[in-house]
Amino acid sequence: MKILMRSGILLAVWLSAATCFGQGLADKVHEHTLKNGMKLLMVPRHTSPTVAAWIRFKVGSVDERSDERGLAHLLEHMLFKGTKTLGTTNYAAEQPILDRIEATAQKLMAEKLKRDQADAKTVERLTKELNSLEKEAEKYVVKEEFADIYARNGASGYNAFTSKDGTTYIINLPANKMELWASIESDRMQNAVLREFYTEMNVVKEERRRSYDAEPEGKLWETFLADAFNAHPNGQPIIGWMSDIENLTRTKAERFLHKYYAPNNAIVAIVGDIDPQQTIALVEKYFGAIPPGEPVPPIAVEEPQQAGEKRTEVIGDAEPELMIGFHKPTLPAPDDYVFDVIDMLLTNGRTSRLYQKLVLEKQLATSVSSFSAPGSRHPNLFIVSASPRAPHTAAEVESAIYQELDRLKTEPMTKKELEQILNHLEFEESRQMVSNGGLARNLTEYEAVAGDWRYLIEHRQKVAAITPADVMRVANQYFTRENRNVGFITKKQ
Amino acid sequence: MISDSNSRGSFNQIHKFARLFLLGCLLAAVSGCASARGGAGKADGAGTLRAGAAAEPSADPRRLVFPPLDFQLPKSERVQLKSGMVVYLLQDRELPIVNLTAYLNAGSIYDPPDKVGLATIAGATLRSGGTVQTKPDQLDRELEFMASSIESDINADHANVSLSTLTRNLDRTLALFAEVVTKPGFDPARVELAKSQAVEAIRRQNDDPKSIASRELNSAIYAGHPLGRIPTLASVQAISREDLVSFHERYFYPANTILAVSGDFDREKLLARLEALFAGWPNHAASFPQVADPSEQMSAQVLHVQKEVNQSVIRMGHLGIHKNNPDLYAIKVMDYILGGGFTSRLTQEIRSNQGLAYNVDSYFVTGRRFKGPFIAETETKSETTGRAITLLRSIIAGMAQAEVSEAELKLAKDAIINSFIFGFARSDVVVNQQARLEFYQYPAGYLENFRANIARVTREDVLRVARKYLHLDAMKLVVVGDQKKFDQPLSTYGSVQEIKLEIK
Repeated sequence: MKILMRSGILLAVWLSAATCFGQGLADKVHEHTLKNGMKLLMVPRHTSPTVAAWIRFKVGSVDERSDERGLAHLLEHMLFKGTKTLGTTNYAAEQPILDRIEATAQKLMAEKLKRDQADAKTVERLTKELNSLEKEAEKYVVKEEFADIYARNGASGYNAFTSKDGTTYIINLPANKMELWASIESDRMQNAVLREFYTEMNVVKEERRRSYDAEPEGKLWETFLADAFNAHPNGQPIIGWMSDIENLTRTKAERFLHKYYAPNNAIVAIVGDIDPQQTIALVEKYFGAIPPGEPVPPIAVEEPQQAGEKRTEVIGDAEPELMIGFHKPTLPAPDDYVFDVIDMLLTNGRTSRLYQKLVLEKQLATSVSSFSAPGSRHPNLFIVSASPRAPHTAAEVESAIYQELDRLKTEPMTKKELEQILNHLEFEESRQMVSNGGLARNLTEYEAVAGDWRYLIEHRQKVAAITPADVMRVANQYFTRENRNVGFITKKQ
Repeated sequence: MISDSNSRGSFNQIHKFARLFLLGCLLAAVSGCASARGGAGKADGAGTLRAGAAAEPSADPRRLVFPPLDFQLPKSERVQLKSGMVVYLLQDRELPIVNLTAYLNAGSIYDPPDKVGLATIAGATLRSGGTVQTKPDQLDRELEFMASSIESDINADHANVSLSTLTRNLDRTLALFAEVVTKPGFDPARVELAKSQAVEAIRRQNDDPKSIASRELNSAIYAGHPLGRIPTLASVQAISREDLVSFHERYFYPANTILAVSGDFDREKLLARLEALFAGWPNHAASFPQVADPSEQMSAQVLHVQKEVNQSVIRMGHLGIHKNNPDLYAIKVMDYILGGGFTSRLTQEIRSNQGLAYNVDSYFVTGRRFKGPFIAETETKSETTGRAITLLRSIIAGMAQAEVSEAELKLAKDAIINSFIFGFARSDVVVNQQARLEFYQYPAGYLENFRANIARVTREDVLRVARKYLHLDAMKLVVVGDQKKFDQPLSTYGSVQEIKLEIK
C-alpha cells in the first residue's frame, strides 16, 4: 500500500513530464486523409534539405491464404519491376507475351505437381517454352528503371520490406525531388506490371536459402514460430516455405495486388524539409484520383489456448541457441504495456535482471535479449532468447531464466526500477526522432498496428501507470508451462 | 513496445527487397565502415518543393524538372583544449539530447602477435570494467538510471568512447565519461568475463557460412599482416589485466584524442567543463608500434570450406587502394557501375536477369592507414556455384575490356553527386565526419572538392582504373559450400586449398 501511494506521487511527476513532451510531438505531426482513404502523416524538420518518404500498406504475410504463403513478400519484390510506362519500351507489345508466359508457367507447375506421375517430356517442353518466352519478353524490358531514375536524382536507401503485418516502401530524397516520388509512387500504386515474375521467384528462393536454409539461427527462428502457432497465420513464414514459393503465380499476385494495394490501405509518412500544405497539395494531385480497393478483411481464426509446453529442436552445424516464447495479447491491450515493463526489467541494459543473473553472475550465457514477435496486429509471443556459454548448456540457461521469471511472480518491482524504465522511455522518445527515416518508420508502424500514431506519445504515460501488482499478475498469468514454447539448436555431432 | 527497426536482435522479422548496399553506408559515413566522404559544389535557390508547379498527374518522371536545392556544406567548430585535445562542436537544439564520441589512435593493428585480441578486449573492458573511483556495478546503475550510455569499442585502427544522454544529465554523464577515458578500473572480474566471452565468440566463429567466407578472404588478402589476424583461444588467454592497463597508458592521452560533440549543449559551459574534466590528464610522447604495409605480392588462390548447406557463399577479392590514391574518384565511379546498386552490372545480370542470387555486389574499401581490399560477393544455390563464379569473373573482366557507356557513366556520377547531401542529414553524423577527416588526415578540401572531383571522371578514366586496379589474375576466391553438389569443380579456377574449420 505504501509502495502504491508513493508511486502515485511519482506518477504525477512523470505524467506531467510525459504530457509535456507528448504535446511536442503532437504539435509536430500534421495529418491529412484523402477522400480515397489514404492517410498522410507529415513532420517538417529543416536540419538538412532531405526528406524520408515511407508508404505502408496494411497488408502483410498474415493476410495470405494457405495457397498464398510468401505472396506478400514476392509481390513486394515484383513492385520494383515497373509499370505500364516505366520499365518497358512498349507495353502493348510486351503484354501478350507476358500472358503467354503466365499460361505456360501455370501448365508447367500443374504438370510438376503430378510429382511421380508428371510427364518428363512435357516438363522439358514447357520449360523450354517458358525460357524462350522469357527471352522474348526481355527485349521490351528497361532494367531497374525505378531504381535508375531515383538514383540519378540522388535518392538514397530505396528499399522495401514485408512483415507479418504490412508491406512498406521506403526512400530518402533530396527535398526538391518530392514530385518525382509522387509521380513514381502514384504510378506504381495504380499501374504496376509484374514482369520478370518467374525470374524474381528464383531470387526469392535464393533469399530464402540465405536467411533460413543455410543459416542455423534463421532455421530455428522459423521452425520455432511455426511450432508455436497451430492455427494463426502468425506462424507461417513471411517468405513462405520453399514449395510455397515455387507454386506462386503472377495471377495470384495480381489478384492480391488489385484487392489490397490501394489508397484506403495505405499510410504515408513524409518527414523532413517539407511544407505540409504544399505536400498535401502534391499528394492530392498525384494520389487523390486513385480509386480505393477492398479493406483487408479481419482474420477469423484465433489461436486456441495452448494446452502444454511445446519444444522445438533444430539440429544444426552451429553452437546452441535458446529461445523461450509465451503467448500474449498484443498492443494496445493493457497487458501488452505490462510486458513492455517486463521486457525492460529482464533485459534492458547491464543492470537488467537476466543480464545480471545469466551473464554477470552465473556466466551461463554471453548474451540475453527479449522482445515481442513475430507481429503486432494479432496476439503474439513474448520471447526471451540467449546464447549459452560453453560448457554451460541450453538446459542450464533455460532453468536459470525460469528462476528469474518466477521471481517476477512473487517479488514486486521496485519503485526505482520503474523510474529507470520511465527515464529510458523519455530518452527513447527523443532518440527515435534523430533521423527522418526513424520517425517515418514509427509513425507508419504505429498508425498501422495500433490504429493511431499517438500510441507513440501515450506510451510512456501508460507505462507510468503500471503497478508492481500488475507485473506479478501478468507474470503469474502468462509465464506458465502450459503457455510455453521452447526452441533450441543442438549441435550436430 | 516502441522500437526502431534495428533494435530487435538478430531474428529476421522482416524481409527486405535488398540488402542495404554499401553505398548508403559510405554516404552516411557514420558507421565507421568506410572512409568519410563528401564533396564540393553548391546549389542555390528555394529549398522546399513547389507543389502543383510542374506537370500533370501523368507527368513522366523521366522528364520532370525540379527547383534548385539549397544546400551548404554544414560546418562544425574546431576548438583545441589546453591539453592539446581537439574538440569538434555542432550545436543542434531540436531534441534534448547530447552525443559525444572520442576518437583515439589505437587499434588491433598494434596487437602483439602472441596477444591478438588485446585491443578488442581493451575496448570491451574500458567501459565495462568501471573506473578507479566508480566500481563497474555502480557505473552501470548510475548511467542506466539516468538513461545515459557510455560505450567503448576498439577497432583495427581506432578507439571510440562515446556518450549519449538527455541534456539534463549531461553534466554527470560527462564526469563519468572523463573517468572512463582517463582512469578506467579494468575490474578483474569484468576482465575475466570479457575474455570468456571472447573465447565463446571464437567457439562460435564457424556457425554462419557468410562470416566464415568473409573472414577467410580477409585472412588471405592480408596474409602475414596484422589486418589478416584473428584472435585465437591461446592469444586471448595470454592477455592479462596488466596488459590492459599498459594499453590504456600507452594510447590514451589528450594529444591522441579528438572529440566530436553534437546536440543540445551550451558551447561555453561545455568547453569549460571539458577543460576542467581533462585538466589533470597527462600527455606523453607518442609511441606507436611500426606496422609495415601489406604485401604487394598479389597472387591468385582458390580456397574451399566444406559445409553441408544448400547455398554456397562466394567471396573474391584482392588488395585495393588507399584514400590518398589520385584515382580515388574514378574508382568510385567504376565501383558504382560494376557493383554498387540495383542498377549495377553485377546486380542486373546475376540477380535480375539470371535469378542466381538475392545478394550480389562488389566494392573497393577505401583504406585509411593501409590499402583496403576490393571485394566481390554473392551467394547462390550449390548447383549454380560455378556458373555464378564464372559470371562474376567475366563481368569484372568486362570493366577492363571496353569503355562503359555514356549512360552508365552519367548515372553513376549523377547518383554519387546528387546523393552527397545524405552524408550531412544529421548533426551527429556531420560532426563525427569532421572529426574523422582530421583523425585520418584527409587532405584539406576533401569534402568541398568531392563532387567536382567526381564530375571530372571520364569514360577513359573508368577504363584506365579498371585495368590498373582490378586484378583477375590475382584474385583470392573463397567458397563455403557443399562441393559434392557444385555444377563445376572449384579446380576450374585454380588449385584448390581446403580450409579445415578448427577452433584454435
